[in-house]
Amino acid sequence: MLRALRIRGCGDFAMGFLPEMDDALSSESLSALKRNFGLAPKIYRAQLLRPDLVDAQVHLLDQMLFTKGALSRVQKEFILLAVSAENNNSYFPALHCQTLQFLGIKPEQSQQIAIDHREANLPPPDVVLLNFARKLASEPHSFTDSDVESLRKSSFTDEQILEAVLMVGLTQLLNCIQMGLGTEPDFKPRVIFPLKEVNPVALLERQTLEPEFTGDFLADDPDFEIVERVRNGETDAFGELVRKHGRRVYRSLLGILGKPEETEDALQDAFLKAFQHLPNFEGRSRFSTWLVRIAINTGLQRLRSQKEVDSLDEENEEFRPRNIQSWMDTPEECYSREELRRLVEKEVMKLPVKYRVALVLRDLEELSTEEAAAALGLSIPGVKARILRGRLMLREAMVPYFTKVSAK
Amino acid sequence: MISCRDFISELGNLLDDDVANEIREQLQAHLAHCNTCQVLYDSTRKTLHIVTESGSFEYPGPIAEPLVTKVMDRIRAGCQLPNNDAQES
Repeated sequence: MLRALRIRGCGDFAMGFLPEMDDALSSESLSALKRNFGLAPKIYRAQLLRPDLVDAQVHLLDQMLFTKGALSRVQKEFILLAVSAENNNSYFPALHCQTLQFLGIKPEQSQQIAIDHREANLPPPDVVLLNFARKLASEPHSFTDSDVESLRKSSFTDEQILEAVLMVGLTQLLNCIQMGLGTEPDFKPRVIFPLKEVNPVALLERQTLEPEFTGDFLADDPDFEIVERVRNGETDAFGELVRKHGRRVYRSLLGILGKPEETEDALQDAFLKAFQHLPNFEGRSRFSTWLVRIAINTGLQRLRSQKEVDSLDEENEEFRPRNIQSWMDTPEECYSREELRRLVEKEVMKLPVKYRVALVLRDLEELSTEEAAAALGLSIPGVKARILRGRLMLREAMVPYFTKVSAK
Repeated sequence: MISCRDFISELGNLLDDDVANEIREQLQAHLAHCNTCQVLYDSTRKTLHIVTESGSFEYPGPIAEPLVTKVMDRIRAGCQLPNNDAQES
């Protein structure tokens, strides 16, 4: 059973599971999670065998964390972040960095709190608070009255101290549940604790953290805010995404389908699919990349239904350029822009679809190689090979129009 | 000295200006004495220029807003598509 939970917790949540969560949990719990975390975190999705217990945990969070208390919400989140980091937990630091960003704390500062809160440019009382929390979590056997006194000296009230202790306890509970279920982060973690450090013997080496965050992160996505508004029920905000990305989706689809009327229908279908699947968008790529991927699949499905799609399998045979003749110095000046447009569209549409799509994304939509690879679900070398093949085949097709001996 | 085959395998990176200096020098040294690869490089580069400047597959401005309306009308009407093309994020 635990193994099954772990497998469910670690993956395969891409589709269909959130609606199930919507059905299983009380609407109060679901809205509390989405309101306070911006999403329904995976750690709760992983416990849907017992939705009643998830409801109980959300109620606990609501009372202890979400509801205003003696400590501010930001101070509570600081404790959750710092103690989770102290525990070498890689799930909750990502979640709390995200939550703190909602609360106006910059990701860089949250990251530094996870690494060493004393260097995070915090107000002195908050540093004392996190010293207290980290010590209670990591060295409870040496925790004494003097630690409590340190908070009093920093003007913390007894009620605040009680909340601080409870917040450490809550973090330990959450960390333990996550470790037991093996839930993977909802976001790419900003601070990754190497596995060896989970071993207590290696605790002293814990400062060997990965300092740089290089991947995409949901909150860095320029569409993050609109996506969250839509996910929080503001359906009309989706129109802003259609307006913003319509051109890219249209051009990607037209490069696949070639027919404007059909492209308009496919564009509507692609956006409708994106809207339907938005609850499952987990931010592992930018929204725009995810959207282009949906558009490409929509376009390819239409081609398949017309049996016009060639194999998408890789080809191993080498492409050998022919027609090696010198081109004019400024070939584009021999034709009007309208003639060039027609020529390019006609010849691009003759390319096999797998090269055509790669070329359209890279050279017409001007996606980076990495974005094109993500949109097509290919490796970087894989997409580079397709782009190059598409370019060389297109060059070949253009030779009759642009060589020095060709005449208009 | 690199071969024509090596040159073609790096051609995409060269066109994207995504090669290390050391490799770029080798590619340029090859171009200096290989007319075939010189023509291939020049014509592919010009092809790319024509493609990017041609305005091909452009999004006609007049259809943009009506398409937004159509999409939003279908969403508000609760239009469902067959759920057979799941996307991973």
